[in-house]
Amino acid sequence: MAGQLAVDASSSPETPAVGSPPVLVAKGVGVGYGGVRAVDDVSISISKGEVVGIIGPNGAGKSSLLGALGGQVKRTQGVITLGDRDISSLMPHDRARLGLVRTFQTTSEFARMTVYENLVTAAEGDRGASLRSVVLHPRQTAQRELELRARAWSIMERFEMTHTADLYGRELSGGQRRLVEIMRCLMRHPRVLLLDEPMVGVAPHLTGKLIDDLRGIAQEGLGILIVEHALEVVRKLCDRVVVMAFGKVIAAGEFEEVVRDPVVQAAYLS
Amino acid sequence: MGAWAFYITTLLVYFAVDVLSAFSLNLQFGYAGVVNFGFIVFQAAGAYAAAVVVLGPSGGVASFQQYVFGARLPFPLDLLVAAAAGALLSFVVGLFALRRMRRDYQAAVLLIVSLIALQVVSADVPLFNGSNGLTGVTWPFGEFFGATATGQPWLYLIYSLVICAVVCGGVWWLSRSPWGRSLRAMRDHEDAASAMGLNITSLRLQVFVLGGAVAGLSGGLLVEYIGAWSPGAWGYAETFVIFTAIFVGGVGNYRGVMIGTLLVPIIFLEIPRFLPAIGYPGLTDSLEWVVVGLAWMLCLLFRPRGILPERRLRAPRAEGVALDPAPAEGGA
Repeated sequence: MAGQLAVDASSSPETPAVGSPPVLVAKGVGVGYGGVRAVDDVSISISKGEVVGIIGPNGAGKSSLLGALGGQVKRTQGVITLGDRDISSLMPHDRARLGLVRTFQTTSEFARMTVYENLVTAAEGDRGASLRSVVLHPRQTAQRELELRARAWSIMERFEMTHTADLYGRELSGGQRRLVEIMRCLMRHPRVLLLDEPMVGVAPHLTGKLIDDLRGIAQEGLGILIVEHALEVVRKLCDRVVVMAFGKVIAAGEFEEVVRDPVVQAAYLS
Repeated sequence: MGAWAFYITTLLVYFAVDVLSAFSLNLQFGYAGVVNFGFIVFQAAGAYAAAVVVLGPSGGVASFQQYVFGARLPFPLDLLVAAAAGALLSFVVGLFALRRMRRDYQAAVLLIVSLIALQVVSADVPLFNGSNGLTGVTWPFGEFFGATATGQPWLYLIYSLVICAVVCGGVWWLSRSPWGRSLRAMRDHEDAASAMGLNITSLRLQVFVLGGAVAGLSGGLLVEYIGAWSPGAWGYAETFVIFTAIFVGGVGNYRGVMIGTLLVPIIFLEIPRFLPAIGYPGLTDSLEWVVVGLAWMLCLLFRPRGILPERRLRAPRAEGVALDPAPAEGGA
């Protein structure tokens, strides 16, 4: 075990692998559904430029943890900070405006909007698209539209998706929908990207390209936390891996070491 | 003016009022996904507000009708008060009805609000004269053109059409703006829209209040033409007539909504007037609702996106970007 991430979930978050100060830190986070503790006292951190993978069997609490970080799921305990700001009590849209964006386990494209609209809308979650701006500042709104247009096309070019610009979200394949979600996140200039099983539905021959794309995004300075079942993807993509079971972190470190851990093999891999 | 000319003019005034209502509901439902089953209450609020600021000070119990906040305001304050009443009531209702809960629950709450409002206004006579309602409402240009709008129907038709065109143009423009795009994102996937930074609670309340203002305005325009307003005019079923118009015309398509408005509240509901009387008295009137219900069901079965479905908006091209070829097979 490389010891990059504290295996003891109750301990303070570890020093990140990349060496830069962590951008997202969660300390002692808990999530409960009735009497069930889906996430129990989990601590985790992500640094700029780092890709951290979360693996674990079904029901381990991976998606609930992502929900707690993104604000979609109410946490019962713990503190979450983004940079030097405590975001524990912020609504999801406020967290997104600070740079914490996410994708979902089931695809969440805007089905009756085109891919282009999916992208430009994602960048509008601030005052630029407010009713007041639209009515009182039409010139600035028009100028902003031009900027968003250029950015949207640039991102679609990067992911080789320009041919889908005029397609509705509901007209895309499963893999294309995953790409739209990721492209949409990038429109917001995020600091941290939370990805919930982004490879589901992606054709096997294209997963390699998506891995390269995500690595490229991370190298530009984003922190990425990814929940993924495909271990081969995790091995190729992630700098560090966190293993969860029964709502707790049971192991953490580099992939090759984690998968050899007897505790992990007992709880998950076997 | 002959009877037919008056009839046609009246239908066109109703059409203008109904188009305003349908545009408002289409903005709320077609664009933002807010299932406002209490829509008619906000139109009624505008109608009552316009009535009491046109009727003059209330004469109290000695008068043949009772109402609150009596005043005599000139144009355009009467219609502004109507719009403000619709907006204010929407804001108050929206604060509790649009909380973060499932859309079907929100729809149920709004329907219940509609039923409660009807009972309260009918029972509380000092408020707006109870189930007898208010009458004697005149139009704002009485000193120039005669006391009532029905005395100069052509003028009122032009007046209605101008207001309808201006307001509907504004609603259309807002729908096409980045703000309207945010509404559609909220409609398609609330959690994803929120995760992208859109404040869902605020957006929903904004569109609810804006739609309420337009609904109130439509009520004010209607009451000044027909001169009277009572609970019989705003039963909850009236909301479903407007919903049917939107579904038949095409949810999210304003041209379709205009066609639906022409077909449902105007043509479908007027045809029974020209049919020979059948069965017991009142049967023909009751059949109107059957026609509306059938129209909605047939539309959902055979053309669920309506006559003119929501239009696909082509992406404006950025300079220097070449479209990459679509993969020949497979794809992501």
